[in-house]
Amino acid sequence: MTMPAPATTALAARAVGASKIYGEGEAEVRALDTISVDFSAQQFTAIMGPSGSGKSTLLHCLAGLDRVTSGQVYIGDVEISACNEKQLTLIRRDRIGFIFQSFNLIPTLNAAENITLPMALAGRKPDQSWMDSIVQTLRIGDRLTHRPSELSGGQQQRVAVARALVSRPDLIFADEPTGNLDSRASAEILTFMRAAVDDLGQTIVMVTHDPGAASYADRVVFLADGKIVDEMLEPTAEGVLDRLKQFGA
Amino acid sequence: MWKVTWRGLIAHKLRFLLTAVSVVLGVAFVSGTLVFTDTVRKSFDELFASVYDGTDAYVRSTNNLESDFGPAQRERISDSLVPQVQGVDGVAAAEGQLQVQRAQYLDRKGKPIGDPGSGSPAFGFNWQTVKALNPYTLVPYLGEASRAPAAANEVVMDLGTAKEAGFKIGDTVTILFTNEKLPRDEFQVVGVTKFGDADRPLGATIALFTLAETQRVNATPGRLDGVLATSDPGISQAGLVDRIEQVITEKDVQVITGDKLIKERQSQIQKNLSFFTTFLLIFAGISLFVGSFIIVNTFSIVITQRTRELALLRALGAAGRQVRSSVLIEAGLVGLFSSIVGVGLGIALALGLRALLGLAGIDVPTTALVVQPATIVIALALGVIVTFAAAVLPARRAARIAPMEALRAAATESRHLGRRTAIGLGVLVIGIGVLAVGLFADGGVEAVGAGVVATFIGVAILAPVIARPVGRILGAPLTRLRGMPGTLARENAVRNPRRTASTAAALMIGVALVGLIFIFASSIKQSLSGQIDRAFKADLVVLAGSGPGSSFSPAVGEAVAKVPGVELANPLRFGPFEAAGKGSFLVSSDPKTLDRIFDIDPQQGDITTLGPNQIAVSTKVLDDNGWTLGQQIRTKFPVGGNQKMTIGAVYGFGQKEGLSDYFLSLPAFDKRFTEIADNQLYISLDPGVKAKEVSPAIKKALKEFPGTELKDQSGLKEQFESQIDQLLGLIFALLALAIMIALLGIMNTLMLSIVERTREIGLLRAVGMTRRQVRTAVRWESIIVAVFGALLGISLGIFFGWAMVRALRDQGFTDFVVPVGQLVTVVIVAAVAGVVTAAYPARRAARFDVLDAISTE
Repeated sequence: MTMPAPATTALAARAVGASKIYGEGEAEVRALDTISVDFSAQQFTAIMGPSGSGKSTLLHCLAGLDRVTSGQVYIGDVEISACNEKQLTLIRRDRIGFIFQSFNLIPTLNAAENITLPMALAGRKPDQSWMDSIVQTLRIGDRLTHRPSELSGGQQQRVAVARALVSRPDLIFADEPTGNLDSRASAEILTFMRAAVDDLGQTIVMVTHDPGAASYADRVVFLADGKIVDEMLEPTAEGVLDRLKQFGA
Repeated sequence: MWKVTWRGLIAHKLRFLLTAVSVVLGVAFVSGTLVFTDTVRKSFDELFASVYDGTDAYVRSTNNLESDFGPAQRERISDSLVPQVQGVDGVAAAEGQLQVQRAQYLDRKGKPIGDPGSGSPAFGFNWQTVKALNPYTLVPYLGEASRAPAAANEVVMDLGTAKEAGFKIGDTVTILFTNEKLPRDEFQVVGVTKFGDADRPLGATIALFTLAETQRVNATPGRLDGVLATSDPGISQAGLVDRIEQVITEKDVQVITGDKLIKERQSQIQKNLSFFTTFLLIFAGISLFVGSFIIVNTFSIVITQRTRELALLRALGAAGRQVRSSVLIEAGLVGLFSSIVGVGLGIALALGLRALLGLAGIDVPTTALVVQPATIVIALALGVIVTFAAAVLPARRAARIAPMEALRAAATESRHLGRRTAIGLGVLVIGIGVLAVGLFADGGVEAVGAGVVATFIGVAILAPVIARPVGRILGAPLTRLRGMPGTLARENAVRNPRRTASTAAALMIGVALVGLIFIFASSIKQSLSGQIDRAFKADLVVLAGSGPGSSFSPAVGEAVAKVPGVELANPLRFGPFEAAGKGSFLVSSDPKTLDRIFDIDPQQGDITTLGPNQIAVSTKVLDDNGWTLGQQIRTKFPVGGNQKMTIGAVYGFGQKEGLSDYFLSLPAFDKRFTEIADNQLYISLDPGVKAKEVSPAIKKALKEFPGTELKDQSGLKEQFESQIDQLLGLIFALLALAIMIALLGIMNTLMLSIVERTREIGLLRAVGMTRRQVRTAVRWESIIVAVFGALLGISLGIFFGWAMVRALRDQGFTDFVVPVGQLVTVVIVAAVAGVVTAAYPARRAARFDVLDAISTE
């Protein structure tokens, strides 16, 4: 099943007939089963599905952290499924931003250094005014010289969001970014992510199991058993919850 | 808890492998040394037992000088004692015994066989005609029968020399002696002999002559070292000794049993060997000491990593004591396992050492390896105790883990730095104090060793306090040099100061010792060079090889003196003796021309007229003993035993200035020593004659005396320096093991740290760190730790070197030299070693699967 993207926008990423198979023969597990999906630029997409549906695997394959067994994966025009390890690393560094559920920051670096880490690895200087505006938006200006151990969970995630934004990546992948946060901090982070798409023109793909989080997205893609089973535009928490109930999740 | 311990060990077997390796190497060194020296000792014991197997009684002089400054010398006795002993009722046979001071074979090209310079012994003895007294066996060689020497200029040669130099029975061979009248002579080889199974026992060459011929070539007519006697059946050794004693009337002659003679020789060898054993064991101890740091570190890291597991055990009801026992039992098992492997490896090492000696031409008589139960017990106990003791602190820490820590994040380790500083400073002060007592208050080698060990431990305790600032400084340029990987390397190196410090401390020990040796050697060289500059007035000098006991015939001096352009050639002879009951050594030369070769800074009396019963002394010993010019002092010499000598002159340049505190004229020397030969020959040229012009003629004269070398002042310095460098090489080879263990420790720590940081590395890789950048970060972290350790070591090495050089100022260490170039090289080598050590951990870190790594708990 192909999910057509809104006609006017360019594609930030797409998968074409992508499969991820673990094991062989009897023990074969299809984590992704010939999935084709497009992600438009400047859109906030949530991927949902029950545990084991393949949503994290899809994210990892799209982000160049894992390889598909067959099919193609593109970031922009680049077929990353054909890239070698080194090229993948550089694509992750230069074109992709990451927000993980936890352990997002390097404990030996302070907040500012963590934010600019991918650029520092590339040997590039961050755009200072862009950096300032992100830091200001995320309200972490007074935390920049602190080590991660001196930050609250919500602050740590905000620093992670800042890191994902600062290099103006083509695409930001977020893997349960609010999974470890209380509801207030979650709402804050999701609001920032929403603003990043609306005001800063970023593209975000987020895996979540929280319908409330998904309601911040422009579009929700539902996965089950490694296949895309449905999608929803302009989702609401209630609508997503209802849809999930239909799948028996 | 047993099950948990065992499971823990199995689960973490890889991380314990490197810990085990450090124990294995240390234990192998210890057991290898013990097995090897026990084996060599047994070989010697059997050798002497067989040499004197048929000897029931031995008659010899009571005058004997044993000394730390050279081999023992015993006065000879008259050969008129032989018929007296033969006449004793109960003596089946008696025969004189005499050893030649040196009998150096020349090969067909006129080169000395063996290496006379390095002191490979060139033995000459009289052939014992009484079969029971003769340990040698004549063997047929190349189809010719061997026979005993029967006339002048006949020799029986050891099979090893015959094989090496290609001599056949019937050939003529030249032998060099230290005899003044007979520096060399030609002999016909009439027989070839084996000694037990050995072609060439213990690397020595052997020449056997008739007794009369032995006396002739040794210039000791009518004299013997002793008389060997064998008894009639049914008479005990003690009984035989009694009977002989009753007949002998000479003064200063004693009779001992054959068994006692064997025991004496064996214990003498044992004494020489025990020096060697101690020397090796010190290095084995250093290795174990370094290893113990690594054990402490590994256990500490492992316990930190297992905090959750241990806390869970505590939460489930395990007592702190049980957790501690679990860790200690684990340590005990690791120690036991490694020690068993170590003992096995040690035995292999001993075999290797013996084979190595065999290759070097030193034929250790074939004895099975001696593995004494004590060796196994000592080695096992050492390994287990060191491992166990090293695990005590980490185990205590483990026992203190609270059940709630299971839920907390990894603990930071920078607590208690205040207390740590206090304890570290305390240990350091005690260490330096004990060291000072050892060095400056005659506290002995033990105090020096204990002081050094305590100083090391004190610095190791203090090291975490400075690890962070020093690491930051060392790593400061890294951000600019290597960008983000450099920053990460620096921050990782200082994130856990205790770990960094104890890893570095292990390397510190080896580097400090290397630094100390470098400083020591440079200081000796500089001091020697200064002494030569100050005191050396001769134009040229003749030396025989580099060995301390190397000597040559006084005929060399006579030959050189005849060379046109040579004004005079004045020999130097060294001898051990006792002055006022204290062992010392003296030097002898011709006092009349002494001022032409040395500036001795004359003070009182006239040394040039020193009589045969007079001794000249340095101002230092004069003052130390409260002597005055003209006073009679108590002395003891090999010949004549205790005797009084009059102080005939006093001079300023003693041992401290590189000369000797005691001086005899040549006639006075020759009367009092059994070994008379020139050790060095100093040449003064006629005024206006250049050394370059005369050297060829002197060298030509020296052709008659192979093994001697002509040197000028700078050549003499080079000679000394090369001797020191040789020793340096040996010590560094032995220290290499300790340094290798320390590097294994760095590798171990890196591996454990990397495993600990799996998630972090995964995250870094996810956000775009390339594999190469990961490797760079690990490599530079290793370099920082290694350089930190090297700098600690160099600082301590400079301190130790300074202390020791100061303490030895009276022994002639006038200069304290810090060889900056060499020390910088050590630090650079440490940095390179850091790179090498990091290679494997860096590769492992770079190869982590990103997905696995970020999803690791």
